[in-house]
Amino acid sequence: MEENDMEMINGMLSGKEIDLASKCIETARRLGADRVRVTLSKSLMELFGTLNGELDKVNHCLDRSMSVSLFVDGRFGTFSTNRLEEEGLGSFLEKSISTVRMLAPDPCRALPSPDRKAAGAVSGTELDLMDPDYAAVSSDQRLKMAMDASIFNGNKDGRLISEEGEYSDSIYDSLVIDSEGLFCRHCETSFEYGVEMTIIDGGGNRYSGYWWDSAPRLRNLGIASCGATALERALNQIGPQKIGSGKYTMVVDNENSSRLVAPLLSALSGYSIQQKNSFLTDTLGNRVFPEWLDILDRPHQKGRSGSRLFDSEGVATKEHSIIEKGVVKEYFINTYMSNKMGMAPTVEDATRPVIPASISPGLANPGSLDQEGILRLAGDGILVTGFNGGNSNSATGNFSFGVDGFRFKDGKILHPVREMLITGNLLTLWNNLLAAGDDPRSCKSRQIPTLAFKDVDFSA
Amino acid sequence: MFEDKSYYLDLFKVTEQQLRSLARKGMEAGGSYCDLFFENTACHDLLLRDGIVSSGGFHVDYGVGIRVLDGDRTGYAYSESTDMKAMTEAVMAASKIALGASERPAASGAMHTAPPRMGLRPENHYPYVNDWRLAEASRFVPALEKLQQSISSKDSRVLKVIVSLSDQVSDIMMFNSDEELVCDTRPLGALAVSVVFSHEGKTENKTVSRSYRTGYEMITDELLEEIANEAVAGIDERFEARRPKGGQMPVVMGAGASGILLHEAMGHAFEADFNRKGQSVFSGKIGQKVCDESISIVDDGTISRNRGAVNFDDEGIPGQKTFMVRDGILTSYLHDRISAAHYGVVPTGNGRRESFRYAPIPRMRATYMLGGKSRKEDIIASVKKGIFVDQFSNGQVQIGEGDFTFFVKSGFLIEEGRLTMPVKDINIIGNGPKALSDIIAVGNDPKIDEGAWTCGKGQSCPVSCGIPTVLINNLTVGGE
Repeated sequence: MEENDMEMINGMLSGKEIDLASKCIETARRLGADRVRVTLSKSLMELFGTLNGELDKVNHCLDRSMSVSLFVDGRFGTFSTNRLEEEGLGSFLEKSISTVRMLAPDPCRALPSPDRKAAGAVSGTELDLMDPDYAAVSSDQRLKMAMDASIFNGNKDGRLISEEGEYSDSIYDSLVIDSEGLFCRHCETSFEYGVEMTIIDGGGNRYSGYWWDSAPRLRNLGIASCGATALERALNQIGPQKIGSGKYTMVVDNENSSRLVAPLLSALSGYSIQQKNSFLTDTLGNRVFPEWLDILDRPHQKGRSGSRLFDSEGVATKEHSIIEKGVVKEYFINTYMSNKMGMAPTVEDATRPVIPASISPGLANPGSLDQEGILRLAGDGILVTGFNGGNSNSATGNFSFGVDGFRFKDGKILHPVREMLITGNLLTLWNNLLAAGDDPRSCKSRQIPTLAFKDVDFSA
Repeated sequence: MFEDKSYYLDLFKVTEQQLRSLARKGMEAGGSYCDLFFENTACHDLLLRDGIVSSGGFHVDYGVGIRVLDGDRTGYAYSESTDMKAMTEAVMAASKIALGASERPAASGAMHTAPPRMGLRPENHYPYVNDWRLAEASRFVPALEKLQQSISSKDSRVLKVIVSLSDQVSDIMMFNSDEELVCDTRPLGALAVSVVFSHEGKTENKTVSRSYRTGYEMITDELLEEIANEAVAGIDERFEARRPKGGQMPVVMGAGASGILLHEAMGHAFEADFNRKGQSVFSGKIGQKVCDESISIVDDGTISRNRGAVNFDDEGIPGQKTFMVRDGILTSYLHDRISAAHYGVVPTGNGRRESFRYAPIPRMRATYMLGGKSRKEDIIASVKKGIFVDQFSNGQVQIGEGDFTFFVKSGFLIEEGRLTMPVKDINIIGNGPKALSDIIAVGNDPKIDEGAWTCGKGQSCPVSCGIPTVLINNLTVGGE
């Protein structure tokens, strides 16, 4: 086996490119930097897109970039380039260091201490996120997978007017090193298929449905059922009915539930807390969520999308609780924010958040905790299967989102509803949580299952 | 600078002969058109936090995107190197789209050529004196500090201020299989503040930005004062504001930033790729009346220094002003070369992309509505019960259904024709065609917003939007 083949199995970065990152640190130190961190990444993505069963586009995307964080005379700056020729590196770093020297000193800027750095991410393959068969996938196979996934030409339902599908795969390799001996590497492959179906009903109304799957290994990609699922999601929307505004029990499906977790995680960020721009300021160690709710970070799950051994500073991730029995257990405090706020540092963000299955005490277990079971548990309400815009106020937690989905009664879906808004406060919403299912989608890095909330304000 | 082609050829280390050779190679597999998009972008950023400018940097992005078309089909590849070997590999990858082309029936719309020389030396829509690339970071530090101090001095409730300055200058060179060579240099600056206020145990935040396609002469004392004043304006109302009772009601959209309505509710649905694929709610409606005849909606790449201005789009088509709706009639989609060829019309200069890493697709530029005859005061006075909105953070649309939303940062209830209780943090939802037909009054105060709007459609693009005061008879407002 030749060296190049070996490198393809372990990732994409060549020995020469890794040497260049090391030289970057040496050169920056020689030019006056006190400490240096270099992040080098390289990726290749191949895409075959179809429109109505015919090949519509082919993309080939090869990227490299190098980001350099410089600590110079108590000052700090971040610089990046995709021009990785060795001869241009000196002048790039010279200009970078000169720029840093024009900024104000900031004693809080520092590299993470050695005991926090990831030690077990050497080859980049430790998390088993690389498909060993990636290099063997040919263009012809990619094209065939994209074409075979299309159901447009075999479909007999005249309401289908457009099918747009994309098969893609990628390989990604990144390296973080610093002037104090850090060496962390992460490699992964990803295979993905997504398809959007547009249909038209007898009244000329258009509806669209999208479905996708993704996996680190090709053999785990559920490509065959995507088209039928997307078409079903589009057809199910025909005949929406208006409902009255008011308070309803809301069930959010596992494709969309992470939308309600994202603002919580953002509010736990050290940057938001330090700027007093978080509705979770001064809640660390306090119970502000239901005492039966846990949110975990599970970044070390081998072969699972989203797993990662280190953050962008090279700090080791760990399996831990973010929210435990309703208590805020962690703010995400990177080295800079730690020094600014005088708080112990952590990883800079949630890596692979997970909400385990659970039910509000006093509610009867519906037997299963998939979407069907959660609907039974919820009884009457609205199932949300799509978000359409909206936002939340990071300082207050007040939110308002556009949603669409289905009215359900006695656990059974009645009819589609659309053009609705949900409005409230995130803390109130989460304290009205009724249940979390056991059905997070494996293709997502945020493992958030179907969720049910009571007393949600719907405007319709 | 965009007339000096040798500057660009030298920058990208290619000759015209090599460009011709690459374009020819791209067509060898049977493609109908090939183009090359060279880009060298330099970005700078500076950040003031906690009273000091202690973070900054610059970023370099360089490469060439190569596209081969086979009818409506697109093959795309890019290279971060412009040596011939790397570019040839990218050409070969892109040309895969045309493999087997000779065995297929002739593709529809095979001609992607613009009308003969449709003005390859247009007006310069982003004149600038001072090149961002030649300025050192130290030049801007005092301006950021001054802006922070000005904001803090205007309101005792200011708790935290973040000021960010970002600029970029892109050298662009485009060549296509029709042997058209087009060059452009695009400056873009953006100054933004995020302010946190605290009052009697409550916290509120506000962001303000300005963005222009020009040089660093945009940083003036007047601009700093304008941003500082806007940052603290209306904070009393923010602290008083409540959620209204939700439901369907008339909505008066204030002049300027309310142009987000046009962007989300109409603009995206007018982008011709969605229509070509039959996905848009406006598919097949060219020539039809879609709203009141007092309404005309434009997408314009020719406004000087505007964030959405383009001398050329990213396919080498000159920037232009496109009427999407004229006097209530849907007159044009927004076209790139593919959709223009598909529909047999002239490209409208809307083929845009985030960078050389992306194939161009139809995108908006500056989207706005022309002014009408009504006075703002009269429009508000005509509403018995509804809301007035004028500040927004984001919006979204579902192309097929036409359902759009936008998030309102602030506004007022309208009761008996008067602005009363302040409202905030509410989402508004409607349906594009219905909202268009429900516009029952258009103000005589057209205004284009100068904030740093960015459109996401799988890839980011700087845009802007504008509108006069308008009254929409019936939208759904989020509330409690």
